[in-house]
Amino acid sequence: MSNPEATKPNVGGLQWPAGLSVAVLGPVIALVLACVFFATQSDHFLSGANFSLILQQVAVVGVIAIGQTLVILTGGIDLSCGMLMALGGIVMTRFATTLGLPPALAMACGVGVTALFGLVNGLLVTRIRLPSFIVTLGTMNIAFAATQLYSGAQTVTDLPPLMTALGDTFSIGSTQFAWGTVAMLALYAVAWFVLRETAAGRHVYAVGNNPEATRLVGIATQRVLLVVYVVAGALYGVASVLSVARTGVGDPNAGQTDNLDAITAVVLGGTSLFGGRGVIAGSLVGALVVGVFRNGLTLMGVSSIYQVLVTGVLVILAVTADQLSRRGAR
Amino acid sequence: MNTSAQPRLVMQAKALVKRYGSVTALDGSDFELRAGEILAVIGDNGAGKSSLIKALSGATTPDSGEIQLDGVVTRFRSPIEARRAGIETVYQDLAVAPAMTIAENLFLGREIRRPGWRGSVLRMLDKRRMIEESVARLAELKVGIRSMSQALETLSGGQRQCVAVARAAAFAKHVVIMDEPTAALGVKEGGMVLELIRRVRDRGLAVVLISHNMPHVFEVADRIHVARLGKRATVLDPKKINMSDTVAVMTGALRPEDLPADALAH
Repeated sequence: MSNPEATKPNVGGLQWPAGLSVAVLGPVIALVLACVFFATQSDHFLSGANFSLILQQVAVVGVIAIGQTLVILTGGIDLSCGMLMALGGIVMTRFATTLGLPPALAMACGVGVTALFGLVNGLLVTRIRLPSFIVTLGTMNIAFAATQLYSGAQTVTDLPPLMTALGDTFSIGSTQFAWGTVAMLALYAVAWFVLRETAAGRHVYAVGNNPEATRLVGIATQRVLLVVYVVAGALYGVASVLSVARTGVGDPNAGQTDNLDAITAVVLGGTSLFGGRGVIAGSLVGALVVGVFRNGLTLMGVSSIYQVLVTGVLVILAVTADQLSRRGAR
Repeated sequence: MNTSAQPRLVMQAKALVKRYGSVTALDGSDFELRAGEILAVIGDNGAGKSSLIKALSGATTPDSGEIQLDGVVTRFRSPIEARRAGIETVYQDLAVAPAMTIAENLFLGREIRRPGWRGSVLRMLDKRRMIEESVARLAELKVGIRSMSQALETLSGGQRQCVAVARAAAFAKHVVIMDEPTAALGVKEGGMVLELIRRVRDRGLAVVLISHNMPHVFEVADRIHVARLGKRATVLDPKKINMSDTVAVMTGALRPEDLPADALAH
Protein backbone atom coordinates (compact mmCIF):
# COMPACT_ATOMS: atom_id res chain seq x y z
CA MET A 1 0.00 0.00 0.00
CA SER A 2 2.53 2.56 1.12
CA ASN A 3 5.05 0.76 -1.04
CA PRO A 4 5.78 3.15 -3.93
CA GLU A 5 6.19 0.23 -6.31
CA ALA A 6 2.58 -0.64 -5.76
CA THR A 7 1.22 2.81 -6.44
CA LYS A 8 1.33 2.32 -10.17
CA PRO A 9 -1.79 0.28 -10.81
CA ASN A 10 -1.65 -2.18 -13.60
CA VAL A 11 -3.65 -0.79 -16.51
CA GLY A 12 -3.04 -4.04 -18.30
CA GLY A 13 -5.81 -5.65 -16.28
CA LEU A 14 -8.41 -3.99 -18.46
CA GLN A 15 -10.63 -7.02 -18.58
CA TRP A 16 -13.81 -7.16 -16.61
CA PRO A 17 -13.87 -10.30 -14.47
CA ALA A 18 -13.62 -13.18 -16.85
CA GLY A 19 -15.89 -14.97 -14.39
CA LEU A 20 -17.89 -16.69 -17.06
CA SER A 21 -15.39 -19.34 -18.07
CA VAL A 22 -14.40 -20.22 -14.51
CA ALA A 23 -17.90 -20.07 -13.03
CA VAL A 24 -19.43 -22.25 -15.73
CA LEU A 25 -16.63 -24.79 -15.62
CA GLY A 26 -18.10 -26.76 -12.69
CA PRO A 27 -21.54 -27.29 -14.22
CA VAL A 28 -19.97 -28.08 -17.61
CA ILE A 29 -17.91 -30.82 -15.99
CA ALA A 30 -21.07 -32.14 -14.32
CA LEU A 31 -22.79 -32.11 -17.71
CA VAL A 32 -19.97 -34.02 -19.40
CA LEU A 33 -19.82 -36.59 -16.58
CA ALA A 34 -23.58 -37.09 -16.73
CA CYS A 35 -23.39 -37.58 -20.53
CA VAL A 36 -20.53 -40.08 -20.22
CA PHE A 37 -22.41 -41.99 -17.55
CA PHE A 38 -25.65 -42.23 -19.50
CA ALA A 39 -23.78 -43.10 -22.70
CA THR A 40 -22.43 -46.19 -20.94
CA GLN A 41 -25.91 -47.08 -19.67
CA SER A 42 -27.94 -46.70 -22.85
CA ASP A 43 -27.11 -47.22 -26.51
CA HIS A 44 -29.71 -44.66 -27.51
CA PHE A 45 -28.32 -41.81 -25.44
CA LEU A 46 -25.57 -40.67 -27.80
CA SER A 47 -27.63 -39.88 -30.87
CA GLY A 48 -28.56 -36.70 -32.67
CA ALA A 49 -32.23 -37.49 -32.30
CA ASN A 50 -31.89 -37.92 -28.54
CA PHE A 51 -29.96 -34.69 -28.07
CA SER A 52 -32.55 -32.90 -30.14
CA LEU A 53 -35.20 -34.30 -27.80
CA ILE A 54 -33.27 -33.20 -24.71
CA LEU A 55 -32.93 -29.68 -26.11
CA GLN A 56 -36.68 -29.52 -26.79
CA GLN A 57 -37.47 -30.76 -23.32
CA VAL A 58 -35.02 -28.35 -21.75
CA ALA A 59 -36.46 -25.26 -23.45
CA VAL A 60 -39.32 -24.82 -20.96
CA VAL A 61 -37.26 -25.35 -17.80
CA GLY A 62 -34.46 -23.31 -19.38
CA VAL A 63 -36.67 -20.25 -19.83
CA ILE A 64 -38.15 -20.60 -16.34
CA ALA A 65 -34.60 -20.81 -15.02
CA ILE A 66 -33.79 -17.38 -16.49
CA GLY A 67 -36.52 -15.78 -14.38
CA GLN A 68 -35.51 -17.86 -11.39
CA THR A 69 -31.87 -16.78 -11.80
CA LEU A 70 -32.87 -13.11 -11.69
CA VAL A 71 -34.85 -13.62 -8.48
CA ILE A 72 -32.11 -15.70 -6.83
CA LEU A 73 -29.46 -13.13 -7.81
CA THR A 74 -31.36 -10.54 -5.75
CA GLY A 75 -31.20 -12.91 -2.79
CA GLY A 76 -34.77 -14.18 -3.12
CA ILE A 77 -36.37 -17.36 -4.40
CA ASP A 78 -39.44 -17.91 -6.54
CA LEU A 79 -41.41 -21.06 -5.74
CA SER A 80 -44.33 -19.99 -7.92
CA CYS A 81 -42.48 -20.37 -11.23
CA GLY A 82 -43.76 -23.79 -12.33
CA MET A 83 -47.37 -23.14 -11.32
CA LEU A 84 -47.36 -19.74 -13.02
CA MET A 85 -46.12 -21.45 -16.17
CA ALA A 86 -49.07 -23.87 -15.98
CA LEU A 87 -51.54 -21.04 -15.34
CA GLY A 88 -50.20 -19.03 -18.29
CA GLY A 89 -50.63 -22.07 -20.51
CA ILE A 90 -54.23 -22.62 -19.46
CA VAL A 91 -55.09 -18.92 -19.80
CA MET A 92 -53.69 -18.63 -23.32
CA THR A 93 -55.20 -21.87 -24.59
CA ARG A 94 -58.63 -21.20 -23.08
CA PHE A 95 -58.59 -17.61 -24.37
CA ALA A 96 -57.75 -18.88 -27.85
CA THR A 97 -60.31 -21.69 -27.86
CA THR A 98 -63.23 -20.95 -25.53
CA LEU A 99 -63.11 -17.15 -25.90
CA GLY A 100 -61.99 -17.34 -29.53
CA LEU A 101 -59.36 -14.63 -29.20
CA PRO A 102 -56.71 -14.39 -31.95
CA PRO A 103 -53.89 -16.74 -30.92
CA ALA A 104 -51.26 -14.00 -30.71
CA LEU A 105 -53.48 -11.95 -28.39
CA ALA A 106 -54.31 -15.03 -26.31
CA MET A 107 -50.60 -15.77 -25.85
CA ALA A 108 -50.00 -12.15 -24.85
CA CYS A 109 -52.79 -12.46 -22.27
CA GLY A 110 -51.17 -15.59 -20.85
CA VAL A 111 -47.85 -13.79 -20.49
CA GLY A 112 -49.70 -10.80 -19.03
CA VAL A 113 -51.32 -12.94 -16.33
CA THR A 114 -48.01 -14.47 -15.23
CA ALA A 115 -46.36 -11.03 -15.28
CA LEU A 116 -49.22 -9.77 -13.11
CA PHE A 117 -48.56 -12.56 -10.61
CA GLY A 118 -44.90 -11.53 -10.73
CA LEU A 119 -45.99 -7.98 -9.91
CA VAL A 120 -47.98 -9.25 -6.92
CA ASN A 121 -44.92 -11.22 -5.74
CA GLY A 122 -42.75 -8.14 -6.17
CA LEU A 123 -45.14 -5.78 -4.40
CA LEU A 124 -45.49 -8.10 -1.41
CA VAL A 125 -41.71 -8.50 -1.19
CA THR A 126 -40.91 -4.79 -1.55
CA ARG A 127 -43.85 -2.97 0.04
CA ILE A 128 -44.74 -5.27 2.89
CA ARG A 129 -41.23 -6.71 3.08
CA LEU A 130 -42.36 -10.30 3.30
CA PRO A 131 -39.78 -13.01 2.65
CA SER A 132 -39.93 -14.11 -1.00
CA PHE A 133 -40.06 -17.73 0.11
CA ILE A 134 -43.41 -17.27 1.86
CA VAL A 135 -44.87 -14.90 -0.73
CA THR A 136 -44.17 -17.24 -3.62
CA LEU A 137 -45.24 -20.30 -1.62
CA GLY A 138 -48.60 -18.52 -1.36
CA THR A 139 -48.82 -17.46 -5.00
CA MET A 140 -47.68 -20.94 -6.06
CA ASN A 141 -50.77 -22.43 -4.42
CA ILE A 142 -53.04 -19.66 -5.64
CA ALA A 143 -51.80 -20.16 -9.20
CA PHE A 144 -52.25 -23.92 -8.89
CA ALA A 145 -55.83 -23.53 -7.67
CA ALA A 146 -56.60 -20.92 -10.34
CA THR A 147 -55.24 -23.26 -13.02
CA GLN A 148 -57.39 -26.16 -11.85
CA LEU A 149 -60.51 -24.01 -11.42
CA TYR A 150 -60.26 -22.20 -14.74
CA SER A 151 -59.49 -25.38 -16.70
CA GLY A 152 -61.93 -27.54 -14.76
CA ALA A 153 -58.92 -29.87 -14.49
CA GLN A 154 -59.42 -30.58 -18.20
CA THR A 155 -56.72 -30.49 -20.86
CA VAL A 156 -57.37 -27.79 -23.47
CA THR A 157 -57.12 -29.14 -26.99
CA ASP A 158 -57.78 -28.12 -30.63
CA LEU A 159 -55.39 -25.20 -30.55
CA PRO A 160 -54.90 -22.84 -33.50
CA PRO A 161 -51.73 -23.65 -35.48
CA LEU A 162 -49.91 -20.46 -34.49
CA MET A 163 -49.85 -21.63 -30.88
CA THR A 164 -47.86 -24.71 -31.75
CA ALA A 165 -45.57 -23.04 -34.31
CA LEU A 166 -42.65 -22.79 -31.88
CA GLY A 167 -42.87 -26.55 -31.47
CA ASP A 168 -42.09 -27.03 -35.17
CA THR A 169 -38.64 -28.24 -36.02
CA PHE A 170 -36.03 -27.60 -38.66
CA SER A 171 -33.08 -29.77 -39.63
CA ILE A 172 -29.40 -29.10 -39.46
CA GLY A 173 -27.83 -32.12 -41.11
CA SER A 174 -29.82 -35.05 -39.82
CA THR A 175 -30.62 -33.48 -36.44
CA GLN A 176 -33.95 -31.81 -35.74
CA PHE A 177 -34.11 -28.57 -33.79
CA ALA A 178 -37.28 -26.94 -32.44
CA TRP A 179 -37.86 -23.22 -32.79
CA GLY A 180 -38.62 -23.21 -29.08
CA THR A 181 -35.00 -24.15 -28.41
CA VAL A 182 -33.88 -21.25 -30.58
CA ALA A 183 -36.21 -18.93 -28.65
CA MET A 184 -34.72 -20.12 -25.37
CA LEU A 185 -31.17 -19.52 -26.56
CA ALA A 186 -32.13 -16.04 -27.77
CA LEU A 187 -33.59 -15.22 -24.34
CA TYR A 188 -30.40 -16.42 -22.67
CA ALA A 189 -28.40 -14.15 -24.96
CA VAL A 190 -30.58 -11.16 -24.02
CA ALA A 191 -30.38 -11.96 -20.30
CA TRP A 192 -26.61 -12.41 -20.56
CA PHE A 193 -26.27 -9.04 -22.26
CA VAL A 194 -28.47 -7.16 -19.80
CA LEU A 195 -26.91 -8.71 -16.70
CA ARG A 196 -23.36 -8.18 -17.89
CA GLU A 197 -23.38 -5.03 -19.97
CA THR A 198 -25.97 -2.69 -18.47
CA ALA A 199 -26.23 -0.75 -15.22
CA ALA A 200 -29.67 -2.29 -14.59
CA GLY A 201 -28.11 -5.75 -14.70
CA ARG A 202 -25.24 -4.83 -12.42
CA HIS A 203 -27.74 -3.34 -9.97
CA VAL A 204 -29.45 -6.74 -9.74
CA TYR A 205 -26.13 -8.14 -8.51
CA ALA A 206 -25.56 -5.20 -6.17
CA VAL A 207 -28.98 -5.63 -4.55
CA GLY A 208 -28.21 -9.30 -3.95
CA ASN A 209 -24.76 -8.48 -2.59
CA ASN A 210 -25.66 -5.81 -0.08
CA PRO A 211 -29.15 -4.30 -0.29
CA GLU A 212 -28.66 -1.64 2.39
CA ALA A 213 -25.36 -0.32 1.03
CA THR A 214 -26.81 -0.38 -2.49
CA ARG A 215 -29.74 1.74 -1.31
CA LEU A 216 -27.37 4.18 0.37
CA VAL A 217 -25.41 4.78 -2.85
CA GLY A 218 -28.65 6.04 -4.34
CA ILE A 219 -29.97 3.04 -6.26
CA ALA A 220 -33.74 2.53 -6.08
CA THR A 221 -33.39 -1.02 -4.74
CA GLN A 222 -37.14 -1.54 -4.33
CA ARG A 223 -37.68 -0.75 -7.98
CA VAL A 224 -34.90 -3.13 -9.02
CA LEU A 225 -36.61 -5.90 -7.02
CA LEU A 226 -40.05 -5.11 -8.40
CA VAL A 227 -38.81 -5.15 -12.00
CA VAL A 228 -37.02 -8.45 -11.38
CA TYR A 229 -40.19 -10.15 -10.12
CA VAL A 230 -42.30 -8.78 -13.00
CA VAL A 231 -39.73 -9.81 -15.63
CA ALA A 232 -39.46 -13.24 -13.99
CA GLY A 233 -43.25 -13.58 -14.12
CA ALA A 234 -43.30 -12.61 -17.79
CA LEU A 235 -40.57 -15.17 -18.52
CA TYR A 236 -42.68 -17.93 -16.92
CA GLY A 237 -45.41 -16.84 -19.36
CA VAL A 238 -42.99 -17.19 -22.25
CA ALA A 239 -42.13 -20.63 -20.90
CA SER A 240 -45.82 -21.53 -21.05
CA VAL A 241 -45.89 -20.46 -24.72
CA LEU A 242 -43.05 -22.90 -25.35
CA SER A 243 -44.70 -25.64 -23.28
CA VAL A 244 -48.01 -25.28 -25.12
CA ALA A 245 -46.20 -25.24 -28.46
CA ARG A 246 -44.25 -28.40 -27.67
CA THR A 247 -47.11 -30.45 -26.23
CA GLY A 248 -49.83 -29.01 -28.47
CA VAL A 249 -52.28 -28.73 -25.55
CA GLY A 250 -53.03 -26.58 -22.53
CA ASP A 251 -52.16 -28.92 -19.66
CA PRO A 252 -53.45 -28.03 -16.18
CA ASN A 253 -50.93 -30.46 -14.69
CA ALA A 254 -47.93 -28.94 -16.42
CA GLY A 255 -45.16 -27.38 -14.36
CA GLN A 256 -45.36 -29.81 -11.45
CA THR A 257 -41.73 -30.80 -11.70
CA ASP A 258 -40.51 -27.61 -13.38
CA ASN A 259 -40.39 -25.74 -10.10
CA LEU A 260 -37.77 -27.99 -8.57
CA ASP A 261 -36.07 -28.50 -11.94
CA ALA A 262 -35.63 -24.76 -12.50
CA ILE A 263 -34.28 -24.09 -9.02
CA THR A 264 -31.95 -27.08 -9.40
CA ALA A 265 -30.77 -25.77 -12.77
CA VAL A 266 -29.96 -22.35 -11.32
CA VAL A 267 -28.12 -23.68 -8.29
CA LEU A 268 -26.28 -26.35 -10.32
CA GLY A 269 -25.30 -23.51 -12.62
CA GLY A 270 -23.38 -21.90 -9.81
CA THR A 271 -25.72 -19.06 -8.83
CA SER A 272 -25.57 -18.59 -5.07
CA LEU A 273 -28.81 -18.91 -3.13
CA PHE A 274 -27.44 -16.14 -0.91
CA GLY A 275 -27.72 -13.71 -3.81
CA GLY A 276 -25.37 -11.49 -5.74
CA ARG A 277 -23.22 -14.17 -7.33
CA GLY A 278 -23.68 -16.21 -10.47
CA VAL A 279 -23.76 -16.12 -14.23
CA ILE A 280 -26.78 -16.70 -16.41
CA ALA A 281 -24.93 -19.10 -18.73
CA GLY A 282 -24.51 -21.40 -15.75
CA SER A 283 -28.29 -21.75 -15.49
CA LEU A 284 -28.45 -22.91 -19.11
CA VAL A 285 -25.82 -25.55 -18.41
CA GLY A 286 -27.65 -26.44 -15.19
CA ALA A 287 -30.91 -26.86 -17.12
CA LEU A 288 -29.08 -29.14 -19.57
CA VAL A 289 -27.74 -31.22 -16.66
CA VAL A 290 -31.26 -31.63 -15.29
CA GLY A 291 -32.54 -32.46 -18.80
CA VAL A 292 -29.79 -35.02 -19.37
CA PHE A 293 -30.54 -36.67 -16.03
CA ARG A 294 -34.26 -36.93 -16.75
CA ASN A 295 -33.66 -38.18 -20.29
CA GLY A 296 -30.91 -40.60 -19.32
CA LEU A 297 -32.89 -42.06 -16.43
CA THR A 298 -35.89 -42.49 -18.72
CA LEU A 299 -33.72 -44.33 -21.26
CA MET A 300 -32.46 -46.56 -18.46
CA GLY A 301 -36.07 -47.36 -17.66
CA VAL A 302 -36.03 -45.66 -14.28
CA SER A 303 -39.54 -44.60 -13.28
CA SER A 304 -40.33 -40.91 -13.11
CA ILE A 305 -40.72 -40.91 -9.36
CA TYR A 306 -37.05 -41.87 -9.04
CA GLN A 307 -36.21 -38.98 -11.38
CA VAL A 308 -37.86 -36.63 -8.92
CA LEU A 309 -35.84 -38.27 -6.17
CA VAL A 310 -32.61 -37.79 -8.11
CA THR A 311 -33.45 -34.14 -8.79
CA GLY A 312 -34.07 -33.62 -5.09
CA VAL A 313 -30.67 -35.10 -4.30
CA LEU A 314 -29.05 -32.96 -7.03
CA VAL A 315 -30.43 -29.70 -5.66
CA ILE A 316 -29.26 -30.50 -2.14
CA LEU A 317 -25.79 -31.44 -3.41
CA ALA A 318 -25.56 -28.21 -5.41
CA VAL A 319 -26.66 -26.05 -2.49
CA THR A 320 -24.21 -27.86 -0.22
CA ALA A 321 -21.38 -27.18 -2.66
CA ASP A 322 -22.42 -23.51 -2.78
CA GLN A 323 -22.53 -23.22 1.01
CA LEU A 324 -19.19 -24.96 1.52
CA SER A 325 -17.42 -22.87 -1.14
CA ARG A 326 -18.75 -19.65 0.41
CA ARG A 327 -17.55 -20.76 3.79
CA GLY A 328 -14.17 -21.57 2.32
CA ALA A 329 -13.98 -18.14 0.70
CA ARG A 330 -14.48 -16.30 3.96
CA MET B 1 -4.50 24.99 9.44
CA ASN B 2 -4.21 28.55 8.40
CA THR B 3 -5.65 30.42 11.34
CA SER B 4 -4.67 33.97 10.46
CA ALA B 5 -7.23 34.48 7.70
CA GLN B 6 -10.85 33.61 8.48
CA PRO B 7 -11.16 30.07 7.12
CA ARG B 8 -14.10 29.34 4.88
CA LEU B 9 -16.83 27.28 6.52
CA VAL B 10 -17.87 24.41 4.28
CA MET B 11 -20.56 23.14 6.57
CA GLN B 12 -22.18 24.62 9.59
CA ALA B 13 -24.95 23.54 11.92
CA LYS B 14 -26.69 25.65 14.52
CA ALA B 15 -28.66 24.50 17.55
CA LEU B 16 -29.59 21.06 16.22
CA VAL B 17 -32.19 19.26 18.28
CA LYS B 18 -33.22 15.66 17.82
CA ARG B 19 -35.48 13.77 20.18
CA TYR B 20 -36.37 10.10 20.13
CA GLY B 21 -39.43 9.83 22.33
CA SER B 22 -38.36 11.06 25.76
CA VAL B 23 -34.67 10.81 24.92
CA THR B 24 -32.98 13.98 23.71
CA ALA B 25 -30.11 12.87 21.52
CA LEU B 26 -29.17 16.32 20.28
CA ASP B 27 -29.78 19.22 22.62
CA GLY B 28 -28.83 22.29 20.63
CA SER B 29 -25.64 21.01 19.07
CA ASP B 30 -23.49 23.36 16.96
CA PHE B 31 -21.02 22.25 14.32
CA GLU B 32 -18.47 23.96 12.11
CA LEU B 33 -16.39 22.36 9.40
CA ARG B 34 -13.73 24.32 7.55
CA ALA B 35 -12.50 23.86 4.01
CA GLY B 36 -9.57 21.47 3.73
CA GLU B 37 -9.50 20.28 7.31
CA ILE B 38 -9.88 16.98 9.08
CA LEU B 39 -12.30 17.53 11.91
CA ALA B 40 -12.47 14.64 14.35
CA VAL B 41 -15.75 14.18 16.18
CA ILE B 42 -15.36 12.38 19.49
CA GLY B 43 -17.67 11.71 22.37
CA ASP B 44 -18.74 9.07 24.83
CA ASN B 45 -21.59 6.73 23.99
CA GLY B 46 -24.80 8.75 24.14
CA ALA B 47 -23.01 12.09 23.77
CA GLY B 48 -24.94 12.78 20.58
CA LYS B 49 -22.03 12.02 18.30
CA SER B 50 -23.79 9.60 16.01
CA SER B 51 -27.02 11.62 16.00
CA LEU B 52 -25.02 14.63 14.87
CA ILE B 53 -23.39 12.64 12.07
CA LYS B 54 -26.73 11.18 11.05
CA ALA B 55 -28.17 14.67 10.76
CA LEU B 56 -25.20 15.90 8.72
CA SER B 57 -25.25 12.91 6.37
CA GLY B 58 -29.00 12.98 5.84
CA ALA B 59 -29.71 9.72 7.66
CA THR B 60 -32.06 11.57 10.02
CA THR B 61 -33.73 14.95 9.89
CA PRO B 62 -33.30 17.10 13.02
CA ASP B 63 -36.42 18.36 14.83
CA SER B 64 -35.09 21.91 14.87
CA GLY B 65 -31.97 23.85 14.09
CA GLU B 66 -30.41 24.47 10.70
CA ILE B 67 -27.64 23.05 8.56
CA GLN B 68 -25.76 25.20 6.08
CA LEU B 69 -23.70 23.89 3.23
CA ASP B 70 -21.40 26.53 1.73
CA GLY B 71 -23.50 29.20 3.41
CA VAL B 72 -26.80 27.93 2.04
CA VAL B 73 -29.40 26.49 4.42
CA THR B 74 -30.14 22.90 3.44
CA ARG B 75 -32.40 20.18 4.66
CA PHE B 76 -31.68 16.55 3.80
CA ARG B 77 -34.49 14.04 3.87
CA SER B 78 -32.27 11.10 2.94
CA PRO B 79 -28.60 10.17 2.57
CA ILE B 80 -29.19 10.24 -1.17
CA GLU B 81 -30.10 13.94 -1.02
CA ALA B 82 -26.97 14.65 1.00
CA ARG B 83 -24.94 12.78 -1.57
CA ARG B 84 -26.44 14.85 -4.36
CA ALA B 85 -25.48 17.96 -2.42
CA GLY B 86 -21.86 16.80 -2.39
CA ILE B 87 -21.58 15.06 0.97
CA GLU B 88 -20.30 11.50 0.82
CA THR B 89 -20.38 9.17 3.80
CA VAL B 90 -18.14 6.16 4.34
CA TYR B 91 -19.84 3.66 6.59
CA GLN B 92 -18.19 1.23 8.92
CA ASP B 93 -19.08 -1.89 6.98
CA LEU B 94 -16.12 -1.88 4.62
CA ALA B 95 -17.79 -2.79 1.35
CA VAL B 96 -20.62 -1.90 -0.96
CA ALA B 97 -20.90 -5.07 -3.03
CA PRO B 98 -18.22 -7.59 -2.02
CA ALA B 99 -18.65 -9.94 -4.98
CA MET B 100 -18.42 -7.10 -7.51
CA THR B 101 -15.23 -5.60 -8.91
CA ILE B 102 -13.43 -2.56 -7.55
CA ALA B 103 -14.35 -0.55 -10.63
CA GLU B 104 -17.99 -1.54 -10.28
CA ASN B 105 -18.00 -0.60 -6.63
CA LEU B 106 -16.44 2.78 -7.36
CA PHE B 107 -19.04 3.57 -10.00
CA LEU B 108 -22.08 1.83 -8.50
CA GLY B 109 -25.10 4.06 -9.05
CA ARG B 110 -23.02 6.42 -11.21
CA GLU B 111 -22.17 4.14 -14.08
CA ILE B 112 -20.74 5.56 -17.28
CA ARG B 113 -22.39 4.44 -20.50
CA ARG B 114 -20.73 4.00 -23.84
CA PRO B 115 -20.87 6.89 -26.27
CA GLY B 116 -23.25 6.72 -29.23
CA TRP B 117 -26.10 4.34 -29.88
CA ARG B 118 -24.59 1.52 -27.87
CA GLY B 119 -24.91 3.68 -24.78
CA SER B 120 -28.21 5.37 -25.56
CA VAL B 121 -30.13 2.52 -27.23
CA LEU B 122 -28.49 -0.62 -25.84
CA ARG B 123 -27.54 1.14 -22.57
CA MET B 124 -24.18 -0.57 -22.63
CA LEU B 125 -21.72 0.28 -19.89
CA ASP B 126 -18.37 1.75 -20.79
CA LYS B 127 -16.42 -0.73 -18.70
CA ARG B 128 -13.10 0.21 -20.19
CA ARG B 129 -13.53 3.85 -19.26
CA MET B 130 -14.77 3.04 -15.77
CA ILE B 131 -11.71 0.86 -15.21
CA GLU B 132 -9.39 3.54 -16.57
CA GLU B 133 -11.00 6.19 -14.39
CA SER B 134 -10.83 3.90 -11.37
CA VAL B 135 -7.13 3.41 -12.02
CA ALA B 136 -6.68 7.18 -12.27
CA ARG B 137 -8.71 7.91 -9.13
CA LEU B 138 -6.87 5.37 -7.03
CA ALA B 139 -3.52 6.48 -8.42
CA GLU B 140 -4.31 10.09 -7.47
CA LEU B 141 -4.81 8.95 -3.91
CA LYS B 142 -1.84 6.59 -4.12
CA VAL B 143 -3.93 3.55 -3.33
CA GLY B 144 -1.83 0.69 -4.61
CA ILE B 145 -4.31 -1.82 -5.89
CA ARG B 146 -3.23 -3.46 -9.10
CA SER B 147 -6.26 -4.74 -10.87
CA MET B 148 -9.57 -2.88 -10.94
CA SER B 149 -11.31 -6.00 -12.15
CA GLN B 150 -10.79 -8.09 -9.06
CA ALA B 151 -13.69 -8.65 -6.72
CA LEU B 152 -13.73 -6.42 -3.67
CA GLU B 153 -13.81 -9.44 -1.36
CA THR B 154 -10.37 -10.50 -2.59
CA LEU B 155 -8.89 -7.40 -0.91
CA SER B 156 -7.82 -7.02 2.70
CA GLY B 157 -10.04 -5.06 5.07
CA GLY B 158 -7.77 -2.02 4.84
CA GLN B 159 -7.72 -2.10 1.07
CA ARG B 160 -11.49 -2.39 0.97
CA GLN B 161 -11.81 0.59 3.24
CA CYS B 162 -9.39 2.48 0.97
CA VAL B 163 -11.69 1.72 -1.97
CA ALA B 164 -14.66 3.01 0.03
CA VAL B 165 -12.77 6.19 0.95
CA ALA B 166 -11.58 6.67 -2.64
CA ARG B 167 -15.13 6.26 -3.86
CA ALA B 168 -16.32 8.96 -1.47
CA ALA B 169 -13.42 11.26 -2.32
CA ALA B 170 -14.01 10.84 -6.03
CA PHE B 171 -17.61 11.95 -5.89
CA ALA B 172 -17.82 14.32 -2.92
CA LYS B 173 -17.98 17.97 -3.89
CA HIS B 174 -17.71 19.35 -0.37
CA VAL B 175 -17.49 16.92 2.49
CA VAL B 176 -16.47 13.34 3.22
CA ILE B 177 -17.88 11.91 6.44
CA MET B 178 -16.13 8.81 7.75
CA ASP B 179 -17.80 6.79 10.46
CA GLU B 180 -15.15 4.79 12.36
CA PRO B 181 -13.18 4.00 9.19
CA THR B 182 -10.36 2.26 11.08
CA ALA B 183 -12.43 0.41 13.68
CA ALA B 184 -12.33 -3.00 12.04
CA LEU B 185 -8.69 -2.81 11.00
CA GLY B 186 -5.35 -3.91 12.37
CA VAL B 187 -2.50 -1.50 13.11
CA LYS B 188 -0.85 -1.52 9.70
CA GLU B 189 -4.09 -1.40 7.76
CA GLY B 190 -5.43 1.36 9.99
CA GLY B 191 -2.30 3.40 9.28
CA MET B 192 -2.83 2.91 5.58
CA VAL B 193 -6.37 4.29 5.82
CA LEU B 194 -5.25 7.25 7.95
CA GLU B 195 -2.65 8.13 5.35
CA LEU B 196 -5.35 8.05 2.71
CA ILE B 197 -7.62 10.29 4.78
CA ARG B 198 -4.81 12.86 4.90
CA ARG B 199 -4.45 12.73 1.14
CA VAL B 200 -8.16 13.28 0.72
CA ARG B 201 -7.85 16.40 2.87
CA ASP B 202 -4.80 17.55 0.93
CA ARG B 203 -6.88 17.44 -2.24
CA GLY B 204 -9.06 20.17 -0.72
CA LEU B 205 -12.00 18.22 0.67
CA ALA B 206 -13.24 18.74 4.18
CA VAL B 207 -13.22 15.52 6.18
CA VAL B 208 -15.31 14.63 9.23
CA LEU B 209 -13.75 11.72 11.08
CA ILE B 210 -15.78 9.95 13.73
CA SER B 211 -13.55 7.74 15.83
CA HIS B 212 -13.15 6.16 19.23
CA ASN B 213 -9.49 5.62 18.57
CA MET B 214 -7.64 8.52 20.26
CA PRO B 215 -4.20 7.80 18.76
CA HIS B 216 -5.80 7.83 15.30
CA VAL B 217 -7.63 11.05 16.06
CA PHE B 218 -4.42 12.71 17.25
CA GLU B 219 -2.51 11.41 14.28
CA VAL B 220 -4.64 13.04 11.60
CA ALA B 221 -7.10 15.56 13.02
CA ASP B 222 -6.64 19.31 12.53
CA ARG B 223 -9.32 20.06 15.13
CA ILE B 224 -11.31 17.93 17.53
CA HIS B 225 -15.02 18.50 18.06
CA VAL B 226 -15.98 17.12 21.47
CA ALA B 227 -19.62 16.09 21.76
CA ARG B 228 -21.07 15.85 25.24
CA LEU B 229 -24.63 15.62 26.57
CA GLY B 230 -26.11 16.36 23.13
CA LYS B 231 -24.12 19.55 22.72
CA ARG B 232 -20.75 20.60 21.40
CA ALA B 233 -18.67 20.83 24.58
CA THR B 234 -15.72 22.47 22.86
CA VAL B 235 -13.37 22.27 19.91
CA LEU B 236 -9.79 21.35 20.76
CA ASP B 237 -6.45 21.83 19.03
CA PRO B 238 -4.70 18.42 19.07
CA LYS B 239 -1.29 20.10 18.85
CA LYS B 240 -1.87 21.98 22.11
CA ILE B 241 -3.53 19.39 24.28
CA ASN B 242 -2.65 15.85 25.24
CA MET B 243 -4.73 12.74 24.89
CA SER B 244 -5.58 12.26 28.55
CA ASP B 245 -6.88 15.83 28.95
CA THR B 246 -8.94 15.35 25.80
CA VAL B 247 -10.48 12.19 27.20
CA ALA B 248 -11.11 14.03 30.48
CA VAL B 249 -13.03 16.75 28.61
CA MET B 250 -14.95 14.10 26.70
CA THR B 251 -16.03 12.32 29.89
CA GLY B 252 -16.74 15.55 31.79
CA ALA B 253 -13.91 15.08 34.33
CA LEU B 254 -12.38 18.30 33.05
CA ARG B 255 -14.39 21.38 32.12
CA PRO B 256 -13.39 23.17 28.90
CA GLU B 257 -13.24 26.42 30.88
CA ASP B 258 -10.45 24.98 33.03
CA LEU B 259 -8.23 24.27 30.06
CA PRO B 260 -5.45 26.67 29.06
CA ALA B 261 -6.86 29.03 26.47
CA ASP B 262 -4.54 27.89 23.71
CA ALA B 263 -5.75 24.29 23.96
CA LEU B 264 -8.96 25.41 22.35
CA ALA B 265 -9.00 25.46 18.58
CA HIS B 266 -9.69 28.77 16.94
